[in-house]
Amino acid sequence: MKRLFLAVGAVLLSAAQAQAPALPLRIAEVTGETTPCAPLAASAPAGQRAYMALLVKRLQTEVFNCPMADAAAAAEALSGGAVDVAWLDGAAFAPVSGQTRSILTVRAAEDLNRLPVVVAVPRAVQAQTLADLAGASLVFGGQAKASLDVPRRTLADYGASADFFGDQVEAQDHEEAAARLRAGQVQAMVLHAGAWQKLCRGDQPGEDLCEDLRVVWRQRPVASKAWVIRSDMSDDRRFRLIGIHVAMHNEAREAFTWAAGDGAGEFEPTEAKALLHQGPTVGS
Amino acid sequence: MRRRSGVILAAIGLGLAGCGGEAKAPGGAWQSQMGEVRMAVRGSEDDPMITRRLTAYKTYIGKATGLPVKLYESSDYNGTIQALSSGQVDIATMAGGGYANVDAQIGDLAQPILTVRQAEGDTGYYSGLLVMADSPYRSIQDLKGKTLGYVDFNSTSGYLFPRSVMREQGIDPDTFFGKSSFAGGHTQAVMALDNGQFDATIIQAGGGDPEHGFTTGAHFTMARRGVVDLDDFRIIWTAGPIPNSAVVVRTDRPQPFIDAVRGAMAALPYDDPEVWRDIGQPDGAAYTAVTREHYTPIIKLRADDIAARRSGERQ
Repeated sequence: MKRLFLAVGAVLLSAAQAQAPALPLRIAEVTGETTPCAPLAASAPAGQRAYMALLVKRLQTEVFNCPMADAAAAAEALSGGAVDVAWLDGAAFAPVSGQTRSILTVRAAEDLNRLPVVVAVPRAVQAQTLADLAGASLVFGGQAKASLDVPRRTLADYGASADFFGDQVEAQDHEEAAARLRAGQVQAMVLHAGAWQKLCRGDQPGEDLCEDLRVVWRQRPVASKAWVIRSDMSDDRRFRLIGIHVAMHNEAREAFTWAAGDGAGEFEPTEAKALLHQGPTVGS
Repeated sequence: MRRRSGVILAAIGLGLAGCGGEAKAPGGAWQSQMGEVRMAVRGSEDDPMITRRLTAYKTYIGKATGLPVKLYESSDYNGTIQALSSGQVDIATMAGGGYANVDAQIGDLAQPILTVRQAEGDTGYYSGLLVMADSPYRSIQDLKGKTLGYVDFNSTSGYLFPRSVMREQGIDPDTFFGKSSFAGGHTQAVMALDNGQFDATIIQAGGGDPEHGFTTGAHFTMARRGVVDLDDFRIIWTAGPIPNSAVVVRTDRPQPFIDAVRGAMAALPYDDPEVWRDIGQPDGAAYTAVTREHYTPIIKLRADDIAARRSGERQ
């Protein structure tokens, strides 16, 4: 009898899990006035209707629009469990970062990935942080966008604009940059993480060709805005949301244009705290 | 007693149904339908490094989908192609030429969903025509009647693609060069050039573009090992970009599975950079969504090549 009880219970559990309707998805929208979540009005812009319809179809659940007075109200509603997704900037995200996480940002059409940037010095040099490099001469590992623009923008995100450093030169590539650093022609080298990896990765597993160098700083650019969810959202829903959004520019152009805005190239996943600085800022 | 038991069980069932939806471990309808995720991979599990890489990746995808992940190992390209085409696996990563083969076999039943965008922004790589720096050759036109090395008969960048581009540019690769032969691999092609066996050889070049130069390819790897000196070579012609490898799924699987696995893979470099590096992906690179259109040049190239062979135009 006990076995039968357990077996039937297991079947019921499995059936319940398989057939339980997914909870609705509630999306915050900053409209200037906070009102209760509701299905999107028929008078809403066509792009917004296309966006909501796409989510309804792909998540197989109801999707509600939740008008909010401002981004701070959206963040509060998100952290309190009144909405499931909100489009926030760093200022709105910071107070609720303990209960929430970012999952997606928008990459501009001609922009690169939010690639990490590395600042390295000779191992014997005392500098331990970015702040220690005030006035230091720099070499960048190339002139392409990934080698120059992204590193400069990322350093500026952390307060280290061009005038924070001393002389700056642009090498032909990461190999030449490293040669200049090793020859003592400059005090620090700035590379994107891919170039640093190419420079330092040996042919044998674990081989490090940069044992004479030390990374004093490594960061991605800070995201200016991102889709934020509560940290306790299920992996299933989180990854499906990401999977739907990253392909939206290909699969549902009208919905994408409304959701991502003018000039957007595609949605791009983010790390959990992409809206926040991951270390101290420097400079004035 | 029996009736009472039934009432209790029903109550348990209702209670559980009420808790469904946002549980951390997914257990929804699409997971029940799938049962497991079957992924085709290349490489030998006898290699501890590959085993470590695949174990971490398998764990990540398993956690993301809430399903056990079964890896189907194949030692060659064709094994992966056939596993996906036959439906033995749900998802596979393959080169553009491999996807073109799958597309020819099952059409819309397979769909590319992701490819890698490099740190520099490109989603492809190039074929390059490499000559010795001290040679007089400055353009492909200078190689009329000279000896040319190809990588391999089945290589997209080392044979198929550059030959197609040459034809588009009015050069018949079968008659323009004095003699051509296969080196057997990218490294062998560079070695043969360096040894004077060829006047020029086709190679793969990546990590950049013709305007800014390249940073990856066999001659770069060989230079890092001290086998050759980069300054001894010059690229005088390029063809590309050739689309990077694709993550390809079976479209007859549940859409939520496709969305979830695409989301999990796209999030990998941000959620778990160590696993991203462990599966051999470069720092700063990330997945970007693609469609069949991205691979149209390769699909056309393959179709043209097959048509030419059937007509006896090419051997």
